[in-house]
Amino acid sequence: MTAKAKPDPFIHPITRLSICGLLAAGADWVEFAALRDAAGISDSVLSKQSVALEDAGYVQVRKGAVGRRPRTWFRLTAQGRRALEGHLAWLAQLEEAASASSRDVSQVTVSSVNGRVAPRPVPSPD
Amino acid sequence: MPDVVRDPAALERLRVQRSRLADRMEPPWWYLTGSAVMWAVLFAGPFILQYLLHGVPTWPSLIGTAAALCLLRLLPWGLTRATGITVRLWNLRYRLGLPALIAMIVVWFAASETETFLIRHGLLAAAIVVAALAVAAQVTLLQVRLRGIRQELRAGGGAA
Repeated sequence: MTAKAKPDPFIHPITRLSICGLLAAGADWVEFAALRDAAGISDSVLSKQSVALEDAGYVQVRKGAVGRRPRTWFRLTAQGRRALEGHLAWLAQLEEAASASSRDVSQVTVSSVNGRVAPRPVPSPD
Repeated sequence: MPDVVRDPAALERLRVQRSRLADRMEPPWWYLTGSAVMWAVLFAGPFILQYLLHGVPTWPSLIGTAAALCLLRLLPWGLTRATGITVRLWNLRYRLGLPALIAMIVVWFAASETETFLIRHGLLAAAIVVAALAVAAQVTLLQVRLRGIRQELRAGGGAA
């Protein structure tokens, strides 16, 4: 990913992150029911969070109807995409750091169990 | 509200959710059937030009063109309505299905030219075979293209 890693407190909550992440997946517009089912959230939660995201300028909402049934469509705005990419890059860094630290911990544990110190890297002759 | 830092599986959860969204992009049977009909009408163009327009009113070709154009507009609309996801099949943004899209365009032109050539030389049976193979190839390539788009949706379309 080329986006600059930068946390965004507004899309930090899981539900908003899920909505933005799904809208950024590649579809032009995603319908309410498709987004709700994919995110695994309730109608009311999606309504509430989508209004918040729309007010923040992260999501564009289009309302229409198919026959007599009202339909709502969502799309991520350029601002929302930038924020999400930065936030995901930041999360990926966190994940990487967490896995690196857990690797270090397991290495130290193995060394202490074997009763010897973890080998140090050998310096090059020059 | 749940916080992603307290939930280390947040990114993994997002991957699962994207996968669920991509699974919805499975085209219904009528979409592929309608596409086959649309391509069949388009590939019937050279036959209509050669055999029906000599001294015959132009209405058959006009009806054929209108039907193909209607299907061209109706099929994506129907797919969007069935899946709840709008994707532009002819958009170059979806890189995973791009070779299939290019192949569709190449097959379209190549098959139309070959048909015209064969019809002019009186090889009607060969032209019909080419048209039938071209329709089968276009439907197969359409499925490959849709599979590529699904993979792209699953992968996140560039956003991690």
